[in-house]
Amino acid sequence: MSASHARDSSFLGGRIPPEIESMSRNVKDVDQELFRKLLKAVVSALEGKDCREAMKSIAESSTIPQERLGHIVAGMYRVLSEAIRIPTSSLKQEAFKEDLRELRVPEDFITDFSSVVFGNRRAALEAATSRNDPHLPTVEDFKWRVDVAISTSSLARALQPSVLMQMKLSDGSFHRFEVPVSKFQELRYNVALILKEMNDLEKRSILQIQD
Amino acid sequence: MADVEATKSLSGLLNGIAQRVYYGNPEITEQLLREQLFPDLNQDQFTALHDRMKALLKSIAAADMDHAQLEAFLTAQTKRQGSSGLTAEQAAALSRFWKSQRVRVRESLLAQSRWEPGLRGLSWRVDLQTAASRGDAAHSGPVALMELELGRAGQDSEFVCLEFDETKVNQVLKKMADIQKSIDSIVQRS
Repeated sequence: MSASHARDSSFLGGRIPPEIESMSRNVKDVDQELFRKLLKAVVSALEGKDCREAMKSIAESSTIPQERLGHIVAGMYRVLSEAIRIPTSSLKQEAFKEDLRELRVPEDFITDFSSVVFGNRRAALEAATSRNDPHLPTVEDFKWRVDVAISTSSLARALQPSVLMQMKLSDGSFHRFEVPVSKFQELRYNVALILKEMNDLEKRSILQIQD
Repeated sequence: MADVEATKSLSGLLNGIAQRVYYGNPEITEQLLREQLFPDLNQDQFTALHDRMKALLKSIAAADMDHAQLEAFLTAQTKRQGSSGLTAEQAAALSRFWKSQRVRVRESLLAQSRWEPGLRGLSWRVDLQTAASRGDAAHSGPVALMELELGRAGQDSEFVCLEFDETKVNQVLKKMADIQKSIDSIVQRS
């Protein structure tokens, strides 16, 4: 294995991020039990959970000074977030391990890192990170009512059904609007068409984009 | 020849009244109708004719008369004695007008009693997210982006943009099926 080749294709890019370098310097004499506790906290942070309490109790029970712990945690966070950015089709497990070996991360820790990046937590981590991508608001709640106007000020016998829809969006806004039956048919048709397009898209292999 | 002209003028008058009263076109004034269609009538004569036609249209529209109802109504009106009686030409013009405009007038009357913003249109697009700043997203499924055009009568539209994943689209579609069932149950009964 040529070292230069490994460095060329490092998942961390051409220049090793400083927090990862600092982590690799500070992590060497950490025992595996502490490392795993830290890893657990970092993973839950990546999943968007509040890990301040967990970090605090680790820091309090550990003999390692807080500043060093800070370097380690920052580096671990960076390693995992960089690795999860890259699809597993592009970053192979062996290459990932090799890159960490280059940084002289102890072998046991490499195995632990690897089990997070390539193990069954992967999907949950990807889902959690994608929640932070820019999004349009989504529909959180959708209520409806079908009314029939019996009689109005200008029409003795209206007998006209209409649909009243109310949507609560993820940005907290509410939208209430009336949909005449003809428009409702159009809406329903289009939603069905969207679903069909989405299903078709998943079947088509040309969209299994690889890099 | 004069009959043809009179019939045309009557049709014009009915359409003019409909424009102003039902289709919200304020440019068609009573004055304009008189000048263009009945220049020979004096103001009082024209006003009487105009008001009479307007009142008849209002009765017909409010009851949303079907063909049989309309014929019965018009026959009764022509049989009335004196100046309030309807001429055969007037009855024919009303009948013709209603045949072509019934659906539109009804729509407009229904819209007058609609206060919530209505759905005017929608457009959509299905995307596949391929990458993002925080991570590669090639694993994620397709995303539907939908734009709803909402607006109250006579006001500018407001646009609401939404994002759906496949599960959400499925949920919405199920609700639509429920709504359809609910509509069908009403429509079949009436």
